[in-house]
Amino acid sequence: MEKMKMMLVDDEERFLETTKKLLERKGYQVATAVSGSEALDKLQKENIHVVILDVKMPGMDGIATLKAIKNRYPLVEVIMLTGHATVESAVEGLKSGATDYLMKPTDMDDLIRKSEDAYAKRQVLEEKIRVAQARMAQRSPLEILRDAKK
Amino acid sequence: MTENRYARLRKLILATMILVPAIPFYIVMGIGYYYFTTSIENSTMASMRRIVEDHRQMIDTFLRERKSDLEFVAESYTFDNLADPIYLYKVFNLLQNKSAAFVDLGVFNEEGIHVTYQGPYKLIGKDYGEEDWFKEVMKQGYYISDTFLGYRRVPHFIVAITREEPGRKWVLRSTIDTQFFSHLVEKVRIGKTGEAYILNDNGILQTQRRSGGNLMDKDADQVVGPVKHEGTETFLKKNQNGEEFLYATTWLQDKKWLLVVRREESDAFRDVRSATYLILFINVVVGVGIITAAFYLTNSIVRRMEEIDTEKNQLGQQLVRASRLAELGEMAAGFAHEINNPLQIMTSEQALVETIFTDMIQKGELKDSQDLAELKDSMDQIKLQIGRCARITQAILKFGRQSEPVSRDIDLVAFIPDATNMIAKKASVNGITVREEISDRTPIVRGDPSMLQQVLLNLYNNAMDAIMERHGTEGGELIIASAPDEDGKVKISITDNGIGISPENLKKIFSPFFTTKPVGKGTGLGLSVCYGIVDSMGGVMEVSSKRGIGTTFTIRLPAAPGSEEEKG
Repeated sequence: MEKMKMMLVDDEERFLETTKKLLERKGYQVATAVSGSEALDKLQKENIHVVILDVKMPGMDGIATLKAIKNRYPLVEVIMLTGHATVESAVEGLKSGATDYLMKPTDMDDLIRKSEDAYAKRQVLEEKIRVAQARMAQRSPLEILRDAKK
Repeated sequence: MTENRYARLRKLILATMILVPAIPFYIVMGIGYYYFTTSIENSTMASMRRIVEDHRQMIDTFLRERKSDLEFVAESYTFDNLADPIYLYKVFNLLQNKSAAFVDLGVFNEEGIHVTYQGPYKLIGKDYGEEDWFKEVMKQGYYISDTFLGYRRVPHFIVAITREEPGRKWVLRSTIDTQFFSHLVEKVRIGKTGEAYILNDNGILQTQRRSGGNLMDKDADQVVGPVKHEGTETFLKKNQNGEEFLYATTWLQDKKWLLVVRREESDAFRDVRSATYLILFINVVVGVGIITAAFYLTNSIVRRMEEIDTEKNQLGQQLVRASRLAELGEMAAGFAHEINNPLQIMTSEQALVETIFTDMIQKGELKDSQDLAELKDSMDQIKLQIGRCARITQAILKFGRQSEPVSRDIDLVAFIPDATNMIAKKASVNGITVREEISDRTPIVRGDPSMLQQVLLNLYNNAMDAIMERHGTEGGELIIASAPDEDGKVKISITDNGIGISPENLKKIFSPFFTTKPVGKGTGLGLSVCYGIVDSMGGVMEVSSKRGIGTTFTIRLPAAPGSEEEKG
């Protein structure tokens, strides 16, 4: 099974650095980005499964970044990291397609667990897509024609 | 300064309220009084004047007629004719037929000797040559005497005229009964004291006077003045007893007699006087009324204004405090938010350190030792303290947030025990027995559960504070009850046996910033916020309390639509 590849997006560089080190020690592949636009750039270049995205960032903020990611890479799972205790920003994120949310300061174990959950969800989805594609490929032209007539 | 302003305002309102109705009222009363009294006086005077003039007319006519009767006789007959007693008798009868006032008739020669006489007395041959009246008639040509009683004690006067024939001058005299006109005068009666009488120019009564004074008596009131005026005169004069009389007088019979009509002033102007008293009384009553009403209204206006001003000031202060509080909340929220970022980094760092330690131990680079155990303990402590900080910032953020309330059905049968459980520990520690009397039929209500929870917890905490103040840590009792109320409402009551609330505090209990707790202990917002929440749910909140016995807070909430049928 493919190993989970994560990306941390936050304007706090020390947080990115330390968390990356920690996660790499735990055996995950980790990319980091200090802004929304950088995150989008990296998504284009690398195949990233789960994005941990800070809601409050200078420039392009978390919600805008989330919408852009979901627009371009619908399969990427995004977990919002919010500094607000407000449920509102989390709700807004979830409505815009985020998989889950974490509240700052979040426990590292929680972060890893939620990321794993998100990754598992993505793998289920990818599996379904693969099965569906395989079925398409296996069908005879006659069957396809019959289906089309219905 | 403010006191001064109210005092000025008060004076202004008071003056306006008294003067505006009083001035027109007194002007109207004054004008009315003036015209009323003047018209009464004028009409009284006019009626007296009319009586005087009418009577003068009659008396003058009577006298003139009698005089011309005699003149007619004297012109028609010669001395020789009348010197014959039989002839005189005939003439006298003719006169008496014309007027019953003629009592007798006599003829005198130039020397004053009574030549013939027709009448009740034996007067023939008597010499009147030295009598005043005879001298007067010889000189003037005619004479009318004052009244006298004569032998028959009946008021009389005499009329005499002279007649000149060639070579001879003689006098015709007749006695006239005054009954005719004295009766006329004495009959006059105006009001209670109004009367009429006749005086001669010496002030001797020529007629009877009803108020006292017989014929021929001297009038003590000295009505007759030195000047004999023309026409009718009216005046006021006091009598000997000091009673004031209103007089109307006119001279009769060539200014020998004075016709007097008089009336006691107090009687004549009785109506005026009673009207005056009535007007004075009304003036006083109305004046007192106006002043009382003005004072009452002014007091209530000024008091109301003071109240409004006080309320305004309080409201302003509350607004300032509330806005400061809101600012503080925002600041705290911002602060908490900023703190979360460093805390996040610290969390990551701590997690990394912990992971590194674990790795090193696994690799055998670090050996179990006392130091390692202490380091591990220290790391755990850092994690713990970060967690604590996180909880604080979350609490601040929760306080500062302004989220829209959610509206949800709340089943109080389950909801109230949940809320009560949250204070169960605190209650048991402080020796407070908590009793729940939740009716199964309590309807479902609609509202924000967290807000309703806030209300309940606030009331519980207040109740427990009140209990602890009275009982310390034993003997406290807290009863939470809920039941369906009339009109499809739900009644929740929270009763404690705490210290209670004094009546004056009870009035202010829901006011914002009102607190009896020491400075720094309470914001004074709890109950006012609760009140606002209950109000926003369409309910009401009431309190009843007795000092030293306990307090009951009652919340009445409308049942959620449809919950009635569900619960039966």
